[in-house]
Amino acid sequence: MDDLLQEFISETQETLEALAVEVVAWETDPDDRDRLDAIFRFFHTVKGSCGFLNLPRFEKLSHAAEDVLSDIREGKRVADPATVSAVLAVMDRIGELAEAVASGAALPNENDDFLVQSLQQARSPETGETAAAPANTARREGQASPLRTIRLPLTLIDQLMNGVSDMVLARNELSRKLRDRSDPDLDSAFERLSTCVADMRDAISKTRMQRVDRLFAAIPRMVRDLGRDLGKVIDLELEGGDVEMDREMVEMVVDPLTHIVRNSIDHGIETPEQRRKAGKPEAGHLRLTARQSGNQIVIEIMDDGKGIDTSRLVAKAISAGTLTSDAAARMTDQEKVDLIFRAGLSTADQITAISGRGVGMDVVRANVERIGGVITLDNMPGQGLAITLRVPLTLTIIPGLIITAGGQHFAIPRAAIVEILHDSNETLSLASVGGACIASIRGVRHSMIDLEDVLGLEKPAQAGPRTVMVVRSSTGIPFAMGVTAVENHEELVIRPASPPIMAAGVYAGMTLPDNGQPMLLLDAGGLSNAARLPNIIDDSAARDVDDVVATAADVQTVGALRFIEISGEERLLKLSLIERVEDIEASQFGVSGGRGFVRVEGRLLPVANAHHRFDETSITSLRLRDGEIEAYYPVARVIDIVQMPMVPDMILSRGPICGIAVVDGAHLEVVDPFALFAAIPTEAIEEKGGGRCVLADADDIWAQEILAPLLRQAGHDVVFGLPVDGAMRADDIVLTTRADTDVVAVPKGQPVVHLRSARGPGSGKDKSIYRYDRDALMAAIAAARQGRAA
Amino acid sequence: MNELYLFARVAGTPIAVRSTEIEAVVKVSDISPVPGMPAHIAGLSALRSRVLTMIDIGALIHRRATPLEGRPLAIVADISGHSYGLIVESVSDICTVSGGELPLRGQLDAAWMPYAQAIVENEGMPYLLVSLAGFIEPRQLMAAA
Repeated sequence: MDDLLQEFISETQETLEALAVEVVAWETDPDDRDRLDAIFRFFHTVKGSCGFLNLPRFEKLSHAAEDVLSDIREGKRVADPATVSAVLAVMDRIGELAEAVASGAALPNENDDFLVQSLQQARSPETGETAAAPANTARREGQASPLRTIRLPLTLIDQLMNGVSDMVLARNELSRKLRDRSDPDLDSAFERLSTCVADMRDAISKTRMQRVDRLFAAIPRMVRDLGRDLGKVIDLELEGGDVEMDREMVEMVVDPLTHIVRNSIDHGIETPEQRRKAGKPEAGHLRLTARQSGNQIVIEIMDDGKGIDTSRLVAKAISAGTLTSDAAARMTDQEKVDLIFRAGLSTADQITAISGRGVGMDVVRANVERIGGVITLDNMPGQGLAITLRVPLTLTIIPGLIITAGGQHFAIPRAAIVEILHDSNETLSLASVGGACIASIRGVRHSMIDLEDVLGLEKPAQAGPRTVMVVRSSTGIPFAMGVTAVENHEELVIRPASPPIMAAGVYAGMTLPDNGQPMLLLDAGGLSNAARLPNIIDDSAARDVDDVVATAADVQTVGALRFIEISGEERLLKLSLIERVEDIEASQFGVSGGRGFVRVEGRLLPVANAHHRFDETSITSLRLRDGEIEAYYPVARVIDIVQMPMVPDMILSRGPICGIAVVDGAHLEVVDPFALFAAIPTEAIEEKGGGRCVLADADDIWAQEILAPLLRQAGHDVVFGLPVDGAMRADDIVLTTRADTDVVAVPKGQPVVHLRSARGPGSGKDKSIYRYDRDALMAAIAAARQGRAA
Repeated sequence: MNELYLFARVAGTPIAVRSTEIEAVVKVSDISPVPGMPAHIAGLSALRSRVLTMIDIGALIHRRATPLEGRPLAIVADISGHSYGLIVESVSDICTVSGGELPLRGQLDAAWMPYAQAIVENEGMPYLLVSLAGFIEPRQLMAAA
């Protein structure tokens, strides 16, 4: 019985969620039979099940609603707003009751008769006016075809997830052990196992994904209700509901998103009257879109309301004493808009029931940042406001830096790091006064702490310079932190730490890297609290500082190409290095001697990254040139040309990445041009100068069909037959298969490579090369050419 | 009556733990220390892909860290969704007891007061019945601090 009840409750709750959208859409278009039927079916099912399960209150409510809907179906009455509201109220009550039953709490003791009555009252004909639709829900694209699904407890999925993680660890250990012995059979079997494990991990992570639809499910209803309460007409558009994100992430984003939408309707979109005066259509437009960009989900909330009145914000901030008028005068528009994120500031004149519940944009930002997200505003005064939320795809994987301090490893979210430098850097000066340590970086003063001091670790003696990183916590006040070194940056799988550890206040979670040594994730805000750093910004000083930084940044930006690597990362590359972007057929790529090359315009050019095999037929490639060397850089997709700081916001000097730059709120890796060109083999450059090979025996089938393609593939131009007029270029190489080639026909000094068809070592005198000995042939051509060049 | 108890020794005291609270008993492997923690939080230890928060009960009771050289045993338990390893000196037995749980008698050491729930007897010897969750819950920690 309990199972049945449980099943009924969860089914009811799920259907309710899905129906909220339907009901609002149905109100807009009361003739929509499909929707009406869907809603009717819901009540009918509830009525049927609860009679069986003995839930009289459910039964009474659903029965009343079913009656009304059946009247509408039969055309006895129309679906006016009052009726819809009454139906919605009944649905809400059913939801509440289901919640109560599920949690085993006492059923909310309210009078259901009132609801039933309002349903029946709404039945009276005089309320039958059809009001303008308060909210339009744009039909979402691509109704998903029904998939066969089963319901699983979350714990089971977590268990699976853990099992797969165990497998990965076991695999890693096995791989370490296999490295010592080289057995190709074993290796290939192991390779297969690895692929399976990786596939499995992907599949399991997908079970945790949920469509953004779920996030949007409650929005139409809310927009409708708010619009009615406030007398505003709102045209709602939802897009991208089929984007998927982590289940937990959805939960975390619901609140900030709801709040933003409330704000937008309450404070952003004007009343129809005001809108008419402002020359806008009466219905306000609210648009929510979700899309995936790299490993982030971007959610945009755009309205065409009045935007944020920055002058009011500034005035409020000044009167609240958090800003001096001096500082305000120096602020850019964007900075003024960002004031809305300061605690206790709002442009609303009065606290309203809608959005004024003491929760401001500061809380929204804190919530978004806590899950590793970024929130940005694009304010168009009088025209509207666009708010962009960027949140990681999953809660559990974040890009992080591994640092060492006091002989231990720690991780810190990359988003919290503004800058990294060595304490030997000349732009940095350290001073201490009365025990307080102050780091001045390019004239900006930060509180300075050593991580070891905060955590109570010993500071071991160190040969090299220490690393100082500028850390910005979610409270927004950057501070400098000294650590032994920054080791690496990688994607970390973060899991929550146990309460006793979280109680310390300086950790945000923990992670288990491949080496099996648990590592703690530091919480930037917690560190600054633990070190009791002053939490008040001296506004004018900070402002000056920001000005300096801002202007400096303005001067030092360079154009960069934003693109997606074939391996999926979004990266930046300095634009000046890129000659052009080309689509090249995949068949033109090849590998030789372990190095990738691409054949373009009859020449072989090196491939700057290791990719040379592709699934697609046509590959987008960047053609790079450093003045001398040319190379191709295959990418998955080119996104845009953007401005990036000349010096990346965060300097790293490992591998092909020279740092991280923040562009449009996203942290992007910057490809290191130095490392890029340094890695291009120089032999390839010689090869590109491939000159002509003259095949003396133009009629020879072997020369035509076998030798010529081989030479072309190696990057040589092929000419058949000795030029009649004997006009030979100095770098032409003559190839001949006949030992008796009329040497006279070849100009004196012209290099000749003789080929023979007999296998086996040639005699001492005979310099000819066995014609299927490719290596020797190529070497001979190269030698002949070099001899020529020398 | 049919409840199974694990009998162990911690800080020189024989204790009993209800087996329903226990997931496993493992040998303590490498412990990564966690700076800034009270002495009884020994650190983190990986058990396959799980990360255990290691609790040194000896340090909690007597303020003396249990030496880890001898690779002591740890009781693995899942307490409100997190995995813990509770370090004990030795484990002697798992069995049912005939007498069931008996009320506490005599003057209990103040250090044990917050944790001891009852007495169980095994082969004529009394053991303090403790709840593993009691060692973790913040209320208890505060009382001990």
